[in-house]
Amino acid sequence: MSEVMLEIKDLVKVYGSGRNASRAVDGISLSIPKGSFYGLLGPNGAGKSTTIHCITGIAKPTSGQILIDGVDVVKEYKAARRLVGLSPQEFNVDIFSTTEQLMDFMGGYYGIPKAKREQRVNELIKRFDLEKHRKVKFQRLSGGLKRRAMLGRALVHTPDLLILDEPTAGVDVEQRRDLWQYLKELNESGKTIILTSHYLEEIQYLCNEIAIINNGKIVAEGTKEEFMRDGKSVEETYLEITRKEKTQ
Amino acid sequence: MNWIGLSTIFRREVKRTMRVPTQTLIAPTISSALFIFIFGTVIGSRISEFAGVPYISFVFPGVLLMTVINAAYASASSALYFMRFSRSIEEMLITPFSYFEMLLGLVGSAVVRTVLVAGLTLLVGVLFGAVRLVDPLGFFFYITAISAIFAMLGIIVALWAESFEQLQVLNTFIITPLTYLGGIFYSVTFLPPLAATITHLNPFFYFANAVRYSMIGYSEANLWLGFVVISGLTLGLAILVISLFRRGWKIRG
Repeated sequence: MSEVMLEIKDLVKVYGSGRNASRAVDGISLSIPKGSFYGLLGPNGAGKSTTIHCITGIAKPTSGQILIDGVDVVKEYKAARRLVGLSPQEFNVDIFSTTEQLMDFMGGYYGIPKAKREQRVNELIKRFDLEKHRKVKFQRLSGGLKRRAMLGRALVHTPDLLILDEPTAGVDVEQRRDLWQYLKELNESGKTIILTSHYLEEIQYLCNEIAIINNGKIVAEGTKEEFMRDGKSVEETYLEITRKEKTQ
Repeated sequence: MNWIGLSTIFRREVKRTMRVPTQTLIAPTISSALFIFIFGTVIGSRISEFAGVPYISFVFPGVLLMTVINAAYASASSALYFMRFSRSIEEMLITPFSYFEMLLGLVGSAVVRTVLVAGLTLLVGVLFGAVRLVDPLGFFFYITAISAIFAMLGIIVALWAESFEQLQVLNTFIITPLTYLGGIFYSVTFLPPLAATITHLNPFFYFANAVRYSMIGYSEANLWLGFVVISGLTLGLAILVISLFRRGWKIRG
């Protein structure tokens, strides 16, 4: 057991080879303590999703090491994957499955026995106010309902580390506030959460530590207070840093 | 072994099969019934016994084999390609499945669907009086192994394909010609010597021969050689698919 929930050491991810090679992540190192609510910011194509893909197993790191609670995601991938839940930016689901099936199948993949799985799925369906939609196919859900179903799916095996890639995209204001409240409660209950979002007020409201990725590298990292020094908002600091990066 | 995970893959695939029963179960059964009627009843009525059995019983193992090959290939290739297309393959990539378990889940669920289709075809065969079974254990082994071979070929093509059209390439240019030329509807003794020799180089001939032997007890090839070909292909393809999964070819960024 480690006090650090996620440790990334010099992570490199190159897509393609030869002249077509593209370095999506270029030597990222991060250390995220247990219980953090960590905001990962950056412009589109900066390497946020690729980093998340390497952590969760969707992509294979080219080099470097990733440890989740001290467990290596490549060498001990089975143990590592039980520790993480992912709500991805893009809907990576069988769109013909119902809301209930999505969560049930995911619970099954994690090896959760039927009775426990049913109980957990019922809890999540209730928590995300999806009762009316539990038998509705994913393709028929609205954008906000899809996001809630994805969150439920990510939480079905009660992971210690929750990774949320744009979890409130397409969610209306009221539901977004409700989700924020839930995420805060989750974090307060001890879960470590990594959040990427283009809504910087969301990052400011929820996160206590923030990093900015640009061109596959960490260009700034600190506490929320450090990002909000001199009365600035997180958004103002973010824009300042990314504009400076552009001109360099 | 993640048994609950594996049973979940099977459950999901059975649901997927039942979403389109016309395509997955009814169409291949009708197709088999037509083959049995035409080759067995219409043409077979003009042919006297062959290999000690009515022609319909001689030809039925070939019809069954063709059904098995098509069902296994279509099931595995369409399932995995759809998972790649919808990115739902990521559900398997982020969950605690080993590469062997991924193979077992995808191939096993295709074999289950194939056995369902084979069961319906057998039922049609029984109605036509075409079914004999001299070696049930061998029959079950060969049907399962051949299903697994074509499910794994389906997986390889589903990983390689970049469009739905490409999914059919192997089927159109390799599987269908080799199936028809593998002696599924005729005896290799009907062929001129050169064609008979060439047929012995076609692995599909050993598939047909093995299934036919287990059903009617008649063989035109060395059964041990057939066993080695079928077992070797099963093992070789399993190793290849696991290594492709391990490399993350076309599925892990």
